Amino acid sequence: MFEMAFMQRAWLAGLIMALVCPLIGSFLVLRRQSMIGDGLGHIAFAGVTAGALWGFSPVLSAAVACLIGSLTIERVRNLLKDNSEMVLAIFFYAGMGLAVVLASLNKDSGFNLGSILFGSLMTVSGQDLWIVGILGLAALLFVIWYYRPLQFLTYDENAARVAGLPVDKLNYLLAVLTALTVALSMRIVGLLLVSAMLVIPVACALQTSASFAGTILQAMLYGVVSVSLGLVISFYANLAPGGTIILVATGLFLLALMFKKKPVHHHQPLYHEECAECEQDGQVDVCGHVHHSHEQYQHNKD
Amino acid sequence: MKIISLKNLSFDYGDGWVFHKLNIDIEEGDFVAVIGANGAGKSTLLKMLAHLVKPTEGTIEYYGTDITQFKDWGKIGYVPQGFGKSMQDFPISVEEVIATGLLKPQKTFQRHNEEDRKEIEKVVQFFHLRDFGKRRMGELSGGQQQKVFLARAMVKQPRILLLDEPATAIDTHAKEELYAYLQQINQEAGVTIVMVSHDLELAAASAKSALCLDHGVCFWGEVQAALNHHHHHGYFYR
Repeated sequence: MFEMAFMQRAWLAGLIMALVCPLIGSFLVLRRQSMIGDGLGHIAFAGVTAGALWGFSPVLSAAVACLIGSLTIERVRNLLKDNSEMVLAIFFYAGMGLAVVLASLNKDSGFNLGSILFGSLMTVSGQDLWIVGILGLAALLFVIWYYRPLQFLTYDENAARVAGLPVDKLNYLLAVLTALTVALSMRIVGLLLVSAMLVIPVACALQTSASFAGTILQAMLYGVVSVSLGLVISFYANLAPGGTIILVATGLFLLALMFKKKPVHHHQPLYHEECAECEQDGQVDVCGHVHHSHEQYQHNKD
Repeated sequence: MKIISLKNLSFDYGDGWVFHKLNIDIEEGDFVAVIGANGAGKSTLLKMLAHLVKPTEGTIEYYGTDITQFKDWGKIGYVPQGFGKSMQDFPISVEEVIATGLLKPQKTFQRHNEEDRKEIEKVVQFFHLRDFGKRRMGELSGGQQQKVFLARAMVKQPRILLLDEPATAIDTHAKEELYAYLQQINQEAGVTIVMVSHDLELAAASAKSALCLDHGVCFWGEVQAALNHHHHHGYFYR
């Protein structure tokens, strides 16, 4: 299947997105912002319909809409920390509403709605490949350069602020990259499925990794396997590639669930400590409790 | 030497002053317990000291510099209330959490060198965390998580430690151990500690001074006198 130039381009573009989406998606999922990709998809749709109405390129207009949407969302998240979820939902529905209204105004020429919503991986051009390649490189450099501060603000934004890290700057940069990822993934898996590529590989990695770095790397691996396997299946079974990729990723998630790392039993002994009273050896569990044959000591410690 | 100054510090949620015109100087090496009833503004005050919440009126100074101009955040260690329940599945290991404590203010590209690794190793040893290093934070008990956050704050050798209810949701044994660590850090390393606490008994046993916030009535002074004030105003059982 890879003798054909269009398949080579499709696979390469898919692979780049398979690396970029989970790379950016890891930070979104871990900050409980899994639905942001979905919401930006709605906003990008409004951008595409506006572009079609006024004669701009759909990818460019989607990217502009996503950038404006993403930066506004970040601002709202800062201003309304307690109600940000509700406000964001309203924001996304407004995007969808705007898309429907703009589409209804455009009576003259229809655009290929299917390729926007569900992607058209097989028609990826050399130019598309360059664009996603540059995005991929930018995303990779961003995460490598800012990895440790990003890690800190992802698990404890307040503590990262107190440590004096440039939290706001990093949040805005992440918002810009998320917006561009959603807009540029449109051609690959489509606006409705881009969120799945941001979330599902990360969800898989969360089942099998204990560390932050491990989660990001494994998520990228799950992304690559989903795209490669999805493309092969869709080619030979003549199925829609975007949908097949997502179904493969979902299958991988179910598999990962079966191999989920079991949490350590709360009272599993971790190390040994000498009892202060009888000088016998006791086992200290993960809670710091000493399990000991000397009953009085054990009782006191618990 | 005074290192923290609250000048006319006031806070209002919009329905009256939570506290009004606090004027306090905290000396280097002090161990301050911030006590008071629920809703008296204890955690808000700590968040102000951490520059996470802006005061309605007044200012805070660190080493004579206004907090808005203060840049030397490496000197301040912050220990939050805990690893919230929603974070229990977060894939971050104990070592990764401690390592984030070494990040320098305003720097973006940061890698750990041999010296950093030695610092991490030292703190891991001090807090008896060696056997937990590779485990996910969520696998640890509340007491152990609190110890990891303390280790994260201590790894950069801060001069001031801000603690927000460090003894919440941990058992008595872990509490006693935590307070013993804090006393050791305060007495041996001379770290100034400001700690919000509900646990009056243990706060009294470890702190030197106390700030008692009780709905507009504030008392600042030696810890026992502040506790007497707290009891006298009848907020002990709230």
